Amino acid sequence: MSDGKLPKSKATLTSEPPPEGNSVQAPGVPEVERRQRPRPKISTTPPAPPPPPRLDDYEPIIGKPELDDLRFLARQLRGKTVKMVNSTAVGGGVAEMLNRLIPLLNELEVETKWEVITGGNDFFEVTKGFHNALHGGEYAVTQAVKDIFMMYTEQNRQRMQFVEDLFVMHDPQPAALITSRERNRGCWVWRCHIDLSNPNPEVWGFLRPFIDQYDAAIFSSPAFSRQLACPQYLFYPCIDPLSEKNKDLEESVVAKVCDDFGLDRSRPIITQISRFDRLKDPVGVIQAYKLAKKYVDCQLVLAGGGATDDPEGAAVLQEVMEEADDDPDIIILNLPPWSAIEINALQCASTLVIQKSLKEGFGLTVTEGLWKGKPVIAGAVGGIPTQVIHKLTGVLVHSVEGCAYQIRYLLTHPEYAAQLGKNGREHVKENFLMTTNVKRWLLLFQILLGMTRLHSPEER
Amino acid sequence: MATAEMPAVAGRWARAPFYFNSAAHLMRIGREKACNLAELLEALRVCPDESIFQHTFQTLREHHFIREGFSNDFAHWAFAACNEVGLAERLAGIDVREFTSIASLRQRLVDIVDSYGKQNPRARERTAFEPFYFAASELIVIPTPFVGRNLAEFADGIRQVSLYSIHYHFIEARLRLKLNSNDFSLWLEHELDLARLADRINQIDIYTATLHDVRRTILRVVQSAL
Repeated sequence: MSDGKLPKSKATLTSEPPPEGNSVQAPGVPEVERRQRPRPKISTTPPAPPPPPRLDDYEPIIGKPELDDLRFLARQLRGKTVKMVNSTAVGGGVAEMLNRLIPLLNELEVETKWEVITGGNDFFEVTKGFHNALHGGEYAVTQAVKDIFMMYTEQNRQRMQFVEDLFVMHDPQPAALITSRERNRGCWVWRCHIDLSNPNPEVWGFLRPFIDQYDAAIFSSPAFSRQLACPQYLFYPCIDPLSEKNKDLEESVVAKVCDDFGLDRSRPIITQISRFDRLKDPVGVIQAYKLAKKYVDCQLVLAGGGATDDPEGAAVLQEVMEEADDDPDIIILNLPPWSAIEINALQCASTLVIQKSLKEGFGLTVTEGLWKGKPVIAGAVGGIPTQVIHKLTGVLVHSVEGCAYQIRYLLTHPEYAAQLGKNGREHVKENFLMTTNVKRWLLLFQILLGMTRLHSPEER
Repeated sequence: MATAEMPAVAGRWARAPFYFNSAAHLMRIGREKACNLAELLEALRVCPDESIFQHTFQTLREHHFIREGFSNDFAHWAFAACNEVGLAERLAGIDVREFTSIASLRQRLVDIVDSYGKQNPRARERTAFEPFYFAASELIVIPTPFVGRNLAEFADGIRQVSLYSIHYHFIEARLRLKLNSNDFSLWLEHELDLARLADRINQIDIYTATLHDVRRTILRVVQSAL
């Protein structure tokens, strides 16, 4: 965090300015107390990623029969080859997911190659414009824009070979590579990770003729889909239970992170993990906490990133700091992107997890909270109601007051809260784990290649 | 004498073995969508059988861990998105195990939504908080290595197969069999002459138990005969 972006009185509350990526304590704690808190130690550079897990590593989580099903489905696909194409090898949810999915498919002997399209800044400016416009923003699709998009598509088409049996294009950037289709007879799938419920008509009108040539499209929610010529499938976004952010942690690790961040584990902790973004309503979370705090004792952790490299994020962080006022029980953490273990530990240490979004894609932080068996209070927006079934796997709220009430209720009814957490974890295990998505891919490949016979529910 | 019969029952060979299968489902996004009860009714009439299956039988498996309060997607939507508690209750009261065909289940759903709409005409056109998106389940049957040639092996299979397999044989089966029964009970009765055991298993209530509970109860019943 840049000191200059914070009100001086708040930025200088600790004995020395916090280095970038370290915690920013809410104002109001006496200086002596603040100095007693150890400084959190987060690396200033990303650590090397751990090796991806092996399939057998998932057995304690999903069970042997489920792994056997995956192996059976994969065995039938042996000898088939797959190419997946996206626009970046690092950073972003798609690359993160492919980094896990592709090793697992290869371990299952479904030979899968990952290629990344290349292009100049002008290409990525165009595709960023497309991305925002497909979310409903404005964008003018001029002839120059079309030419840039098609020129780089053609370059990538010439550079790549399309000799596999299945091709999966992720998001709009490589979508026009379908024009390579005439060279071979493989099956083509478009995996759309973004919300197409309200696309800019001009951009969608340009992309749609390409999409209509695919054999299948995949969306993360029925609400995100469009009417298309090809069949559409539902693949929920997923988390990897063995990733740094979701694996089981030793209690000592959780304890250390809590110590580092000055959390008192003898009292309830409620946590929202999210970027400092108004659509995540961090100010509303503080207001709900303040209302609840009149009746129940608790601490609030707001942890996320986006305040360092994003001017709007810095402004939101400042609003959050102001709303936090002098409350020593509000702990605001601006974390670097490589804080997976810290985020995991904070979620594990939490009594309640909140995601009070006003607008949301799927909301993988909700999935993470549910996976840790925590009672989750979340805004009823985007993909959240798919995960949080009200009063069964968590609770949905529509207002600050509703959020405050649920904090009070869940903190005073721990058995009910525990049951929600238990159901929530099962819900994730059933629907939102990486291994479930591996199974979906294997099924889809079999269906597209005509390698299996679909059964009617009434068929003997 | 019960004790003297135990080994005989445990080791008695079935006339035909029980082959445990599992099932894998892929969800296809349907073309139908409902923004109010009138649209739901229309979509219920025309959607594919696989959609009725998905939102009733299949969703029960996807939410098997919930012991109470979840029955099918239509009931949940009527409650959560339409705030029509009376309709939600009636839809939630549908027990999929009473149906041996998708057509009869579809008709029951249509009848309930239709009659509720007639009694509550304002509710028919009221826009829901969020639409109901129809999906359809594409089903692939997967063989497992487990085979029960006698009761002991059957119990071992029940213990080891996935919950998908339990759902496939115990709940989905009635659509294939066209009987108010399940694959396990049918096998026990026809291949091992254990009709009482078969009945006890068929009586397990899936709406107040998780699939883990169902597995445990089947095992308890079977082991009581071993």
